Amino acid sequence: MASSSTNEPAKQIILLTTSDNADMRVEREVAERSILIKNLLEDLGGESGEAIPIPNVNEAVMKKVLEWCEQHRKDPPASQDDDSDSRKKSTDIDEWDQKFMQVDQEMLFEIILAANYLDIKALLDVGCKTVANMIKGKSPDEIRKTFNIQNDFTPEEEDQIRRENEWAEDR
Amino acid sequence: MAAPLNTTPSAQFAGPSYLQAFRPASSMSANRFDEGYSEDTRSQSGSEVVVRAESRLSDGIAMDQDPQYPLPDWVLNMNETERSEFAYAILRSLRTSSIAGIVEKLNPLLHLDPVIYLPPEITFQIFSYLTPETLLRASTLSRSWRSRVMDSPLWKLLFRLEGWNSNFPQVRTYEEREKARRVETKERKTRARGAEEMDYERPSTKKRLREGTLFGDGTSSDSSIRDKLEPLTLDGTKDSPNPWGEQHGLVEADGSPTIKVEDKEDRMEGIAYHDSSTTTTPTIATFRRQKKETERGDDASMSPVSPVSMDPPIKLSLLSTSPEPRINWQYLYKQKKRLEDNWDAGRYSNFQLPHPSFAKEAHTECVYTIQYSGKHLVSGSRDKSVRIWNLDTQRLIHPPLVGHTASVLCLQFDDRPGQDIVISAGSDCSFILWRFSTGKMIRRLQDAHAESILNLRFDDRYLVTCSKDKTIKVWNRKEIWPGHDAYPLSTTKSSAKFPEYIINMAHHIENQHLHFKPLEPYTLLMTLEGHGAAVNAIQILDGQIVSASGDRSVKVWDVRTGACQRTFSGHSKGIACVQFDGRRIVSGSSDETVRIFDRATGAEVACLHGHTNLVRTVQAQFGDLPGNEEELEAEARAVDNNFFEAQRKGLLSQEMTKAQRRARNAGSRDPKALFAYGAKLPPGGGGSKWARIVSGSYDETVIIWKKGQDGAWIKSKILAQNEAVRAAGGRPRRPVTQNHGHANANANVGNQAQPQPQPQLPTNAAVQHANPNVQALAQHALAQAQAAQTLAQQAQALHAASQQTLQLGGNPVPNTATVVPASAPAGASHPPNAPAPAPAPAPAPAPHHHHHGPHHHHAPFHGPPLNPPGTGTNSRVFKLQFDARRIICCSQDPTIVGWDFANGDRDIITASQFFGESV
Repeated sequence: MASSSTNEPAKQIILLTTSDNADMRVEREVAERSILIKNLLEDLGGESGEAIPIPNVNEAVMKKVLEWCEQHRKDPPASQDDDSDSRKKSTDIDEWDQKFMQVDQEMLFEIILAANYLDIKALLDVGCKTVANMIKGKSPDEIRKTFNIQNDFTPEEEDQIRRENEWAEDR
Repeated sequence: MAAPLNTTPSAQFAGPSYLQAFRPASSMSANRFDEGYSEDTRSQSGSEVVVRAESRLSDGIAMDQDPQYPLPDWVLNMNETERSEFAYAILRSLRTSSIAGIVEKLNPLLHLDPVIYLPPEITFQIFSYLTPETLLRASTLSRSWRSRVMDSPLWKLLFRLEGWNSNFPQVRTYEEREKARRVETKERKTRARGAEEMDYERPSTKKRLREGTLFGDGTSSDSSIRDKLEPLTLDGTKDSPNPWGEQHGLVEADGSPTIKVEDKEDRMEGIAYHDSSTTTTPTIATFRRQKKETERGDDASMSPVSPVSMDPPIKLSLLSTSPEPRINWQYLYKQKKRLEDNWDAGRYSNFQLPHPSFAKEAHTECVYTIQYSGKHLVSGSRDKSVRIWNLDTQRLIHPPLVGHTASVLCLQFDDRPGQDIVISAGSDCSFILWRFSTGKMIRRLQDAHAESILNLRFDDRYLVTCSKDKTIKVWNRKEIWPGHDAYPLSTTKSSAKFPEYIINMAHHIENQHLHFKPLEPYTLLMTLEGHGAAVNAIQILDGQIVSASGDRSVKVWDVRTGACQRTFSGHSKGIACVQFDGRRIVSGSSDETVRIFDRATGAEVACLHGHTNLVRTVQAQFGDLPGNEEELEAEARAVDNNFFEAQRKGLLSQEMTKAQRRARNAGSRDPKALFAYGAKLPPGGGGSKWARIVSGSYDETVIIWKKGQDGAWIKSKILAQNEAVRAAGGRPRRPVTQNHGHANANANVGNQAQPQPQPQLPTNAAVQHANPNVQALAQHALAQAQAAQTLAQQAQALHAASQQTLQLGGNPVPNTATVVPASAPAGASHPPNAPAPAPAPAPAPAPHHHHHGPHHHHAPFHGPPLNPPGTGTNSRVFKLQFDARRIICCSQDPTIVGWDFANGDRDIITASQFFGESV
């Protein structure tokens, strides 16, 4: 197994093994956008050169995730005290990320799940905002179409719920 | 498609065991089903969700599972690209209609339901970006969407994101009490029914499970995770292979849903029912309603489940349907919104203290001060008494607290058991400490000031008093030693006067004088001098004292050093009231305006015109989101930049017109309207869209201010004190023998023995000179007139500065009315007011009537007839307070009145106990 034995941490290459058994070589700095990988590397001492198993992410998704990490490698680390109180409701997404997220829905959800698993907060945020934007400003039927949601309410139930929700409508 | 197809199962969980917690969507494909879920039998309903995803996926991606058309090995052996080309070739061989049919069938594969694909903590985050309106729309999509959207923690977050306060201790107390009640009920049940009950229970497990999923909100048990708003939950500490399943684990472990339904007889005798009095009733009622919906004729002791029942139920109640008693934040959010709608629409019911049926409990003269918190209100009156009321019953809880020898002008209380105190002060220059729970006097401090104590505030460490004698005094509330962090730090920079027993620690240590003595509670720590007139109002917050004076300024002082840190000017006449929230200082003045100042920079960020007489009382609630200082400052910067931009482009006229200057700015961001830049607060003072200011005036009205479209404060509602009395079932009173006709100036002068708090006397200078003598006479002659007199002087002091200015013909304050007579309206938007002895338009009283003649004091309670609306009434507003639900104010009228915006709605009343204080 190829292992990089360089002592230069910035250029250090690490090896990841995805769920479908693909080996991927990636710069440590890029991979460490993932807090999970970063912590693992720290636990392993960083010098072992062993492949790190990522059993819940397949190669295709991992490729996308690493593409994002590469783009955002220089971003400041997410602040830990960033609790949601101060979270703005803004769903603005920067241009590169928007393009990046133009993928089929399955890939989108898998990126979100991978970001969650790999602990890449900023990517998780972008993914969640993307889904939120797909819900915003649409009628219920449009949302159902967007996500292939089966309406399992009876018309009476739907009507009841709608009436119960009337309080929130703008005056 | 990026979907993985034939991944090798053995490679799936090759990693360390702690990595197995996570299952991405792709791992749901059928060939992994057994590995992932077969052993997870306890999460029945969780796997129901999975099965749905399953079947969908096996239709499509996992083609090899299709029993009818098993794919030959040579197809399966192709790689993704080859297979894709091959499929395309097959499609191309078909007729268009067949292709269309296939496209139709494939459509669901391209559109995936995130609620099925993504675990609750992730949909939680997605939903947190959406508005309540959008979310409620989303709740109509399907049952699974509804159960994810109607998630209590999500609505708790939304509640907070609105900037709404909630009373978390109350929430916790309620939940704990409900839990205890259920446990007790359960124990009683078990004891009563004995062993066969246990046998009966066991086979019902299945039912209880079903019931749990129907009643439970399905997500509340992992609410603790999302309470912390931590989306990244799948770490080493949580190794459930199924994030969906865990939410139902508790249902099995805990039989309380069953109990909840079974104990309907017991509920009536439950602790919570009695303890929390009427407020609990609607909850139970709602619960019953919902129970009826779900029961559909089933035996009540059996599972009440009906297959068509809704989870969560259509009509949500205060407690979420989770096994653990938890407040349902969706319910709270809804009721809060409905309550806000009532405020905006002016829907309220009036009430009064005393209860109309117990009129004899009323104060016998005008009420200068009130404070309330939750259940209790304490009032102080010119009748020298302090009264403690129960707001639920509108009754006194003690006989009147008697001890002051003159009007009670100010008070504060803290009814928490650790504090249990009322402190009151007034025209007798003394303050008195009372035990709240008993109404007994603890201690009296005579002659705390040289003249009337006009206001007092205390926190845990200090009592601060301010007086007509122009000083502010600081007192310790607990025994302190030199060196204690509440002990004064005497510095040379401070102009404060320290009593000689206050020692300079550094100095003493240097000189080895180490015989320290502690300061007894309520020892004078320092006297702050600096105001040029009576100090009318005071606040203390975070070690800062904010004082407002008749000298037209607000000052901020450091409570430990006594140093004056900043002086705020802007008001064109004396200031009567002030409120400080740490960032903004909101003040009301006899210039008839309410102004908002930025604490950090001293900038005036808003000026609110609307009252037609002195603004005597004000409270503001900006609804800040936690930790939004930076946002506010950024907002302020953006407004500044617009201003400079407009200035560069020459869009701003060099000089404002006089009218513009006088009108100031109520918070508009229009560069043309700006008065100050460089503030750390945006115009208007910032805050959420729910921000609210309520002000009360000598014009006998209460104004509710809201933010308008451009952020400027606008009058949302004007409430008339005397109308409220009538609506509350009482009768506005006025002195029997008092002529409210608009007395002329001569009569006024001739009547100096009973001056009254009328700030706008045109003969002010003369009155001021005459007063000291007159006062002395009056004190001898008419003890009861003293209070009125003191107040008159107080009010006059309020205006001394402006009057002086007029007399000198100069105006030290820029941007204010240079040539306008003091008694003329300061704002352009005012209705014409009476500048001179001319009759004033109703309901604003003319400057010269005399409410406080001696007859008034002895006026019997029952006497006076109703005041016809619009005539001179007795309703000058002295003090008001509001919370999420009510405004309560006191006035010249001995009756205390309130506006309750719950407007009789049981749900809103129930929810209101969990809403926070409005400060």
